[in-house]
Amino acid sequence: MAQFVKKDDDRDEEAEYSPFLGIEKGAVLQDARVFNDPQLDSRRCSQVITKLLYLLNQGETFTKVEATEVFFAVTKLFQSKDIGLRRMVYLIIKELSPSSDEVIIVTSSLMKDMNSKTDVYRANAIRVLCRITDGTLLTQIERYLKQAIVDKNPVVASAALVSGIHLLQTNPEIVKRWSNEVQEAVQSRAALVQFHALALLHQIRQNDRLAVSKLVTSLTRGTVRSPLAQCLLIRYASQVIRESSMNNQSGDRPFYDYLEGCLRHKAEMVIFEAARAITELNGVTSRELTPAITVLQLFLSSSKPVLRFAAVRTLNKVAMTHPMAVTNCNIDMESLISDQNRSIATLAITSLLKTGNESGVDRLMKQITNFMSDIADEFKIVVVDAIRSLCLKFPLKYRSLMNFLSNILREEGGFEYKKAIVDSIVILIRDIPDAKESGLLHLCEFIEDCEFTYLSTQILHFLGVEGPKTSDPSKYIRYIYNRVILENATVRASAVSTLAKFGAMVDSLKPRIFILLRRCLYDNDDEVRDRATLYLNTLGGDGSVVETEKDVKDFLFGSLDIPLVNLETSLKNYEPTEEHFDISSVPKEVKSQPLAEKKSAGKKPTALGAPPAAPTSTVDAYEKLLSSIPEFSTFGQLFKSSAPVELTEAETEYAVNVVKHIFDKHVVFQYNCTNTIPEQLLENVVVVVDASEAEEFAEVATKPLKALPYDTPGQTFVAFEKPEGVPAVGRFSNVLKFIVKEVDPSTGEAEEDGVEDEYQLEDSEIVAADYMLKVGVSNFRNAWESLGPDFERIDEYGLGPRESLSEAVNAVVNLLGMQPCEGTEVVAANSRSHSCLLSGVYIGNVKVLVRLSFGVDSSKEVAMKLAVRSEDESVSDAIHEIVAN
Amino acid sequence: MLLAVLITNSEGNILVERFNGVPGEERLHWRSFLVKLGADNLKGVKNEELCVASHKSVYIVYTVLGHVSIYLVGKDEYDELALSEAIFVVTSAIKDVCGKPPTERLFLDKYGRICLCLDEIVWKGLLENTDKDRIKRLVRLKPPTEF
Repeated sequence: MAQFVKKDDDRDEEAEYSPFLGIEKGAVLQDARVFNDPQLDSRRCSQVITKLLYLLNQGETFTKVEATEVFFAVTKLFQSKDIGLRRMVYLIIKELSPSSDEVIIVTSSLMKDMNSKTDVYRANAIRVLCRITDGTLLTQIERYLKQAIVDKNPVVASAALVSGIHLLQTNPEIVKRWSNEVQEAVQSRAALVQFHALALLHQIRQNDRLAVSKLVTSLTRGTVRSPLAQCLLIRYASQVIRESSMNNQSGDRPFYDYLEGCLRHKAEMVIFEAARAITELNGVTSRELTPAITVLQLFLSSSKPVLRFAAVRTLNKVAMTHPMAVTNCNIDMESLISDQNRSIATLAITSLLKTGNESGVDRLMKQITNFMSDIADEFKIVVVDAIRSLCLKFPLKYRSLMNFLSNILREEGGFEYKKAIVDSIVILIRDIPDAKESGLLHLCEFIEDCEFTYLSTQILHFLGVEGPKTSDPSKYIRYIYNRVILENATVRASAVSTLAKFGAMVDSLKPRIFILLRRCLYDNDDEVRDRATLYLNTLGGDGSVVETEKDVKDFLFGSLDIPLVNLETSLKNYEPTEEHFDISSVPKEVKSQPLAEKKSAGKKPTALGAPPAAPTSTVDAYEKLLSSIPEFSTFGQLFKSSAPVELTEAETEYAVNVVKHIFDKHVVFQYNCTNTIPEQLLENVVVVVDASEAEEFAEVATKPLKALPYDTPGQTFVAFEKPEGVPAVGRFSNVLKFIVKEVDPSTGEAEEDGVEDEYQLEDSEIVAADYMLKVGVSNFRNAWESLGPDFERIDEYGLGPRESLSEAVNAVVNLLGMQPCEGTEVVAANSRSHSCLLSGVYIGNVKVLVRLSFGVDSSKEVAMKLAVRSEDESVSDAIHEIVAN
Repeated sequence: MLLAVLITNSEGNILVERFNGVPGEERLHWRSFLVKLGADNLKGVKNEELCVASHKSVYIVYTVLGHVSIYLVGKDEYDELALSEAIFVVTSAIKDVCGKPPTERLFLDKYGRICLCLDEIVWKGLLENTDKDRIKRLVRLKPPTEF
């Protein structure tokens, strides 16, 4: 009856049946024994190899023994003359990647194939050999490979070239010897051979700037056959432009004409590559940008999603640096908001948000609202960030943007997304005063139904700080107290703190707050009850004597002012005794973290021109610390604090570093000391400073450190007076003096009597760079123009013989202590000249910009031209003096 | 570098998975990421219509051919446009081997030959051959015609 089965069913069954159904590694390995048959069945062998490939492609792995067994069996198949099988053998050997001790068994077969008259045997044998070979075998076959590179059969040449690209990673010295052959292959008429040869040649010569430049020059004039090779050439050309643009003062950019010519190429790939290269040129002008933007705009309406994506992605980047250049494309981008591909739509929206003008904001927001519902969280976060920047740009539009944020806050979403929205609202409230009240209410509504404890506590804290300052603080109380009723303990505790802050700040609310706080005394969580008790006590809600209002506010709103790490250590060391824990005994000094600093120093420069994040927190901490010391409180505004400079070698008995605090008329040395000997307690620790090599400085105050127990850092200070506004420099020698007392490690008690002792420290120095703050500018050219030439000073200097140009540039940058801009501190390898742009603020808050042009001759003599512009003539001169001295 | 070529059936089961320069521990992550990307976006997509995405500094171009989905992942010079070129070669080679946009069954029937084609197209993360006729001859160990 089987033949009456309907045909459709038949087909269904066939479709469901997989030739690999129930495939199992063990069985396939069994099957592989057919490779050993004296009478080889090529068809069967091919099938088994296919099964092996299927297993490997599914991520299956073979044990060493299994792989070896299969590999040895496969080598037998070289006896077969069946070419289909031979091709499979090549593939499976590559996939099995035998170990170096096994390779030997196939090398002779492969060498034979490599010299075969059949070209494709040769191509495949080359690929297999290069895949499995090691250095020693490579030297044996190098001769053949060199021949293969210039073989007239493109398949053989490509196989050898691509192998070369791979081998360059493992055996660079050998492959570099092939550059003549590769050079020849670059001229090949076969498109792909040219592509592969170009890639290899560039890799071989990538560290030789002149050679790359020559290569690009010759090829941009000649013919490049494949679009892929053309794309590579564009990349290499832009690399040459990047490295040489700084040397070219005339304004003409080398190879720009070539790039622009590529915009008219027939392959879209090449057009796009050229357009992107142009948009990424350093300091690209709008005249240069225009043709590139025009072709990218055309791509925006292409029927191919890949082109639309590529174009909008590039325009999105351009919008960050040249928003005006992209505005022409806004209409095309608006139509992309409804693009099926959500990546394209998101990129279009964020570009629009960057380039849009104030009048278009409302319309744009309407379009985005529809779009938000059907994209993933990671895209939404991008949009939220863009909206925040837009709102900061057009603060008058806060109403619609804030509404948008609050609407999306109510919708479904994960933690990261919600956090991004909350962060944005908080930033807008801080930066746009008008947005405060509505923003706070939006946040209040959000915590009514917020599943994230972290966000609820963050918002409650923020409400406590900002809410009491609003026109009607009472309206927030309901939302806050609801948290005490409805939420988990962590949120309840935060809500109690927030209530207390309202009580402290708003007298009219105080009685009602007391009622609410008293209710919290019966909470079932310790922390909540403790906080309620504490706050009632502090605010006087329990009828006790109230502390002064200032104390209360300091307590509630002041920051802890002690590094948490130190507090943690002190608490751990505290043993419960009759004596209470005294928080004032916790050291305030932040332990220097050399490792972390090294890490951050090693970071790559951030985006072009972006000023580095100011270490506000450290500066603030120093300022607080210094102003809390009566001797220094009259010194005025702190201008700069240096990074800690180590005055002792690593792992010595006492570790001391110094931070230099610069004031207008004073300099304070802060010596951070650590005692690393458990058996010692140091007392009356001071640093005796000899300033005989610093004539302009006069010591005015010293603040000794009473006690320096083991492993608890402490500080001692020495202050100097110096002439006002003068960047005085000098060298100071330092000796650490103290009374040392023996400590019994078992009890931790110190002996009564101590011995005076001293410890020699390294010298410290005040240098010109100490009077300069590193402050970057986002657009150097604009900043330079706006400072104007009135106080410009230009001079030339010989820097003598230097190790390298890069070393000379670094030396000058460090000497001046200024912030390099636009990544110009990086000197291209082998470069003969370089320009570096610096920005900073000089003592007295005078803005300074510097242009340095360096040149080096064959004897490594470096010459430098220094152009300074500043807001003050004397400062421009001072910069020159620093260099001249 | 062409980091990955992944071919799955319409349910997201792996048929071919070839990684280059991707550490072993990251492969599973990439596999599930790509399969999810396809599940989210490939519904209703026409044969060979390209979809594109980027994830960190990596580009992904993917499409449907018959009952199989094809994903290419690349970085640096293998950006979205280079990948679209490469995926075009892959799809045309598969169509050529199968004679039409394949069902899963047909794809598996021609599995060995498809592996050979992929071997000719991408070798250790570099695009080696782009012409389907040449590839067709090369997998039969025949020299290219234009030569």
